[in-house]
Amino acid sequence: MDEIQGIFFEECAEGLAVAEQGLSAMRAGDLSSETIAGVFRAVHSIKGGAGAFGHAALTAFAHRFENVMDEVRAGRIPATPGVTDVMLSAFDILTDHVAAARGTAPLPQDSAVLAALENVLETKGVGVGGGATAAPAPAPATPDAPQPEAEESDEDEFGFRPVGVALDIFDATEEPVEPDWIIDFAPSHAALANGGEPLLLVREVEALGGSIVSVDLSALPPLREMEPEQSYLRWTIRVPASIEEAALTDCFDFVAPDSLVSIARAESVVPATSAAATDPLDQTSDDIADAEPELSAPVLTLVSTTAPSPSAPTLERASEPAAQTIRVDLIKLDLLLNLVGELVIRNSILADRLTPADQQRVELPELARLTRQIQDNVMSLRAQPIRQAFSRVPRMLRDLSAETGKQVILETTGETTEVDKGVIEKIGDPLTHMIRNAIDHGIEPPADRIAKGKEAQGTIRLSAEQKGARIFVRVADDGRGIDRVRVRAKAIEKGIIQADAQLTDEEIDQLICAPGFSTAETISNISGRGVGMDVVRSNVEALGGRVEIASTPGEGTTFTMILPLTLAILDGMIVRLGGQRYVLPLANVIETVQPAPGQVKRTSPTNEVIDMRGQYLPVKRATDIFDLPGSNRSLEDSLVVIVESESAGHVGLIVDTIDDRREVVIKSLDQNLYPIRGLGGATILGDGSIALILDIEALVASNSFNRFTPKGIAA
Amino acid sequence: MSSLDHRTANKQADRKIVTFSLGHQTFGIDMHSLIEIREWEEPTPLPTVPSFIKGVTNLRGNVVPVIGLAERLGWEPSKIHARSCVLVVSIGEKQAGFLVDEVSDIVSIGDQEIQPAPDVEIGEPSVILGLVRVESRTMEARGDDTGQMILLLDLDGLSLTRHLELVA
Repeated sequence: MDEIQGIFFEECAEGLAVAEQGLSAMRAGDLSSETIAGVFRAVHSIKGGAGAFGHAALTAFAHRFENVMDEVRAGRIPATPGVTDVMLSAFDILTDHVAAARGTAPLPQDSAVLAALENVLETKGVGVGGGATAAPAPAPATPDAPQPEAEESDEDEFGFRPVGVALDIFDATEEPVEPDWIIDFAPSHAALANGGEPLLLVREVEALGGSIVSVDLSALPPLREMEPEQSYLRWTIRVPASIEEAALTDCFDFVAPDSLVSIARAESVVPATSAAATDPLDQTSDDIADAEPELSAPVLTLVSTTAPSPSAPTLERASEPAAQTIRVDLIKLDLLLNLVGELVIRNSILADRLTPADQQRVELPELARLTRQIQDNVMSLRAQPIRQAFSRVPRMLRDLSAETGKQVILETTGETTEVDKGVIEKIGDPLTHMIRNAIDHGIEPPADRIAKGKEAQGTIRLSAEQKGARIFVRVADDGRGIDRVRVRAKAIEKGIIQADAQLTDEEIDQLICAPGFSTAETISNISGRGVGMDVVRSNVEALGGRVEIASTPGEGTTFTMILPLTLAILDGMIVRLGGQRYVLPLANVIETVQPAPGQVKRTSPTNEVIDMRGQYLPVKRATDIFDLPGSNRSLEDSLVVIVESESAGHVGLIVDTIDDRREVVIKSLDQNLYPIRGLGGATILGDGSIALILDIEALVASNSFNRFTPKGIAA
Repeated sequence: MSSLDHRTANKQADRKIVTFSLGHQTFGIDMHSLIEIREWEEPTPLPTVPSFIKGVTNLRGNVVPVIGLAERLGWEPSKIHARSCVLVVSIGEKQAGFLVDEVSDIVSIGDQEIQPAPDVEIGEPSVILGLVRVESRTMEARGDDTGQMILLLDLDGLSLTRHLELVA
């Protein structure tokens, strides 16, 4: 049950994201019917699921929200900016309600927003449903999704099904009159296994006044073959004509996919064998009971206008257009990815053991190409647009603006950049802290901004882009910039640095990420608890990334999270350090040289340079940095790999030998351990042994990790 | 649903312990945490890690750290010999391999048999879950009934990332 609830909340989160996107688009002037219908559907499914799980407060609120959305969708209330604003605030409360239902937040105060919604209904709702504001709007027979009627049944009598299904197929195309309803319902075989409770649905219909006409037992296998988790039954239920169709469709709002559901007037009865009752036949409903079902060829007929191809499961078409997706457990994906990784390794073992001629003979290159394609595809399954992480920002900005009185515009770019799901999940908190920090410390109050000749509204630019194997996520504000004098004073006061420490501007900026540092004069509830930027840095480093800060006094501050695209393939150079194999990312390699005598010179007891055609480049000994055995290997026996780094430009890295060049699959070290400075991960080589992947940026930034102390912090 | 939980919980009160030796001591871990027992194989050493982390090894495509358990617990580091083996365990969501001297037995004990360990640990709380006295099968065969003390390990306390969490 908890698991199903979990699915429901997952769907809520997705629904909220869709709704927020839609509302933002509406606010920006996109009033297309698809956008509006998208918001409506999102709110509608949240309401439905909430009803099923008995979250009364959430259901009630979503219901009101949905009423207004429905009016807007039908064009009876114009989506003016004012109305959209009310809906945005309703959206915020809806988000809070979902959190409350989940137990992660207290129940929100929704009376003000409810009143605003009522007001919208009352003042603008001059159309069909505008009569009684408190009453649910009547079900319009629009082609999108019927407006559910009967609030009672929404809240209490909902079915059990957390699987969202759009209601397109239940279009009320007939005259809603006279004959009783006949419902034909056969849950999919997997319904029970998926957590469905067909019996509850049937009881629900009974509660509406329905009576079971017949139950088809023909699919029941002999007892010993019966699977307890499969459903074999098929019900035919008669419901009085007075019941609204929407109330019936609501009952089946959350049936398992692939279930057969048909709702039709009794005159259109067909033998229960070919399922749905659509076309008027000459049988009376009583015949249904007698009709001997033959399930050999289940023909699924649908309600009038929407018949899909007969072989398609009834509800397949009903899934929402945006959701051409299948929900897969992440664990399964990870397992698949691991297995594909193994496949790649097996491939390279084969390549190692076969001569080139033999490789051609068994078409190994083709196999390798295919394997690579499979791997790319599997990895793309885990990649998600970073929009998911960005989606919570607009809401946060609205709250923070209201709290601080600072006005902020958000500009977002690159939200379609695809990043591994694991990374997206983990950058949420750092992103939140960075945004809070930007508003709390960066953006000035409107009066100050005007005094400085800036726009009264501050701007926060949120961007994501992929560069090589890294993702850059930036939060840039146009606020006051880092006050280095104050930061320095604070750091001295907190004992983070010595009073006489000589620090560059960049080093001072980095101090705000030091543990326990906070410059906020008063502790606000936004940031200033002295944990924010510290958390950002440790979270990002735990992901194998780093944080860069660039600030110009008076003009603003930019925080950049540089993150790895985890679980990727890397083109690597296999080198040896202290006899051990390591992988050097080929993307960083410029060239390799065998140093001639005298080409490498000392500039200090701990620093060396290499003369590259007249240009002196710093040289690092990888074995020294890691304190590996064999550090005293002679330079003439070694090779210098010139690598390119973001932070230090071209640097020579001394390695023992170069073994090979090959593609490797990155495995994270922190999956079972913790991130190790200087290592970007590990990989499994053709012989099954492990080689560690070097992190060039971290390597060139230091002479020794054992003696490493954070830059700029007094040692 | 909840009554079912209770039933299973009671059933599990009788727990199975895998016992193994480190030097002259006998330790035990909950069998539920054990993934597999492997022969010792030299792992790939990691730079800049504490010396008790022997390196990482390939466990069916997973990169798993190998811990010198004796050293981790403050004893003399184990010497590798023919019966040395690695117990692969799950700690929370992570996996780790523990180098041990010899796997001895699997015993069933009731929760009530576990005595809390007196506070004589290695300056670090909660690595030892408790002490249990068991008679092993081999002892019974010999007619020896003095029993043997097993130090039951708390795997969560041995998590490699615990010190990181404490710092954070």
